[in-house]
Amino acid sequence: MSKRLISTSSVRRTTLAVALGLATSLGAMAAQADTLRVGMSGGYYPFTYVEQDQLKGFEVDLMNAIGDITGDDVEFVTASFSGLAGMLDSDRIDTIANQITITPERQSKYLFSQPYVYDGAQVVTRKGNDAIHGVEDLKGKTVAVNLGSNYEQLLNELPYADEINIKTYDSNIEQDVALGRADAFVMDRVSATQVIKDKPLPLQLAGQPFSKIENAYPFRDDEAGKALRDRVNKALAELRDSGKLGDISEQWFGTDITQP
Amino acid sequence: MHALDFDYMLGLVPILLGYLPLTLEMAAAGMACALVLACLLAVIRVTRVPGLNAFALLFISFFRGTPLLVQLFLFYYGLPQVLTFLVAINGITATILGLTLHFSAYMAESIRAAIVGIDRSQTEAALSIGMTRAQLMRRIVLPQATRIATPTLMNYFIDMIKSTSLAFTLGVTELMGATQKEAAGSFLYFEAFLVVAVIYWIVVEALSWVQKWLEQRLNRAYQR
Repeated sequence: MSKRLISTSSVRRTTLAVALGLATSLGAMAAQADTLRVGMSGGYYPFTYVEQDQLKGFEVDLMNAIGDITGDDVEFVTASFSGLAGMLDSDRIDTIANQITITPERQSKYLFSQPYVYDGAQVVTRKGNDAIHGVEDLKGKTVAVNLGSNYEQLLNELPYADEINIKTYDSNIEQDVALGRADAFVMDRVSATQVIKDKPLPLQLAGQPFSKIENAYPFRDDEAGKALRDRVNKALAELRDSGKLGDISEQWFGTDITQP
Repeated sequence: MHALDFDYMLGLVPILLGYLPLTLEMAAAGMACALVLACLLAVIRVTRVPGLNAFALLFISFFRGTPLLVQLFLFYYGLPQVLTFLVAINGITATILGLTLHFSAYMAESIRAAIVGIDRSQTEAALSIGMTRAQLMRRIVLPQATRIATPTLMNYFIDMIKSTSLAFTLGVTELMGATQKEAAGSFLYFEAFLVVAVIYWIVVEALSWVQKWLEQRLNRAYQR
């Protein structure tokens, strides 16, 4: 008896909420309510990662905030990082939220949103490694980078690139450096700092960041991609103006990484 | 060297088990389709159907000669660029398709070997009492070939279950994909991969029991 009472009232409450929600969001949804398929690796702490079967991270929170503004249903699709670009090209996802760095090569192929993270490339070594104090000490060393990431390219652009043994991985570069199989890895300063702070791996930052990077969302270079990019840009600007973008950053990193 | 985090491992078990059905479904679907295709290919090869035989040879040569991962990428990422309607294929379907084509090539050869292994005198005897070729296949050769091929086919099935772990590269979060993401969040690699290894191991061990039972059943006619 009491069970039924509860369920009836909860149905009523749900109906009310739906009605209210519809009424308030009709204006926003009228523009275009779609499913925004967002690809991410789910393996890039603390931007996108899984804990207890829950997808979490800065990228997840920010994309949900964008979806709230545009009225799109955000659907996260996780795949290994090297597969993400292929999924975007073959129209299986609409964009990638995985700290994608803007590079000239990528710009010639994709449309990019406004940057939402400003960061630097950071060399990280095993704790206690006193031989490497920055990117200039990587000569003759084995350096791990993620397959398809721009860090591989950054290393290749160094004048002494042919003296660096660059190893590309699909995942787990932190672990291979912690184990000593690679002398260092290169990733963005923010996640490197966070990993060292939060996780039990014996790692340390080596010197200062050596290259500025700007991260943004890539979209397919067609009409639909352009419309979507503009919609996301508008939402990003709104989040930036209202201070919400900085708040999400503060919440994850204790600092605002969204300012140039 | 850090102490194993047993609480984390225990907590991971129910989470990862939630992804086991998808892994098993993909393997079971792949196996069912691969068996049908492999039997067809094997019969074509044994009976040397003109034209089809050459196709079967080419098919087996290609799918046995290239890595499964390459085939998966080719179907999932490559083909839709050429034939755009193929975008409709999702990751799970592409995985099942890849497993089917890849493993049917191997299985066709072991089924063919089982068929060819049946003593020729049986064929001659069956034909001499007036059986047709189809009857000969259905009544004499295939039942015996099934018994011979079963252990190797089960081997391929086991291999197929483990090969589903490649599906994460196509965006399918199955058992291995779920583990990789959990490990990336916790950085407890040893714990996470140990748990998933044990899960795969138990599944395959359970299958070995099925195989034993199946072999005993197929052996009944030979027991005195």
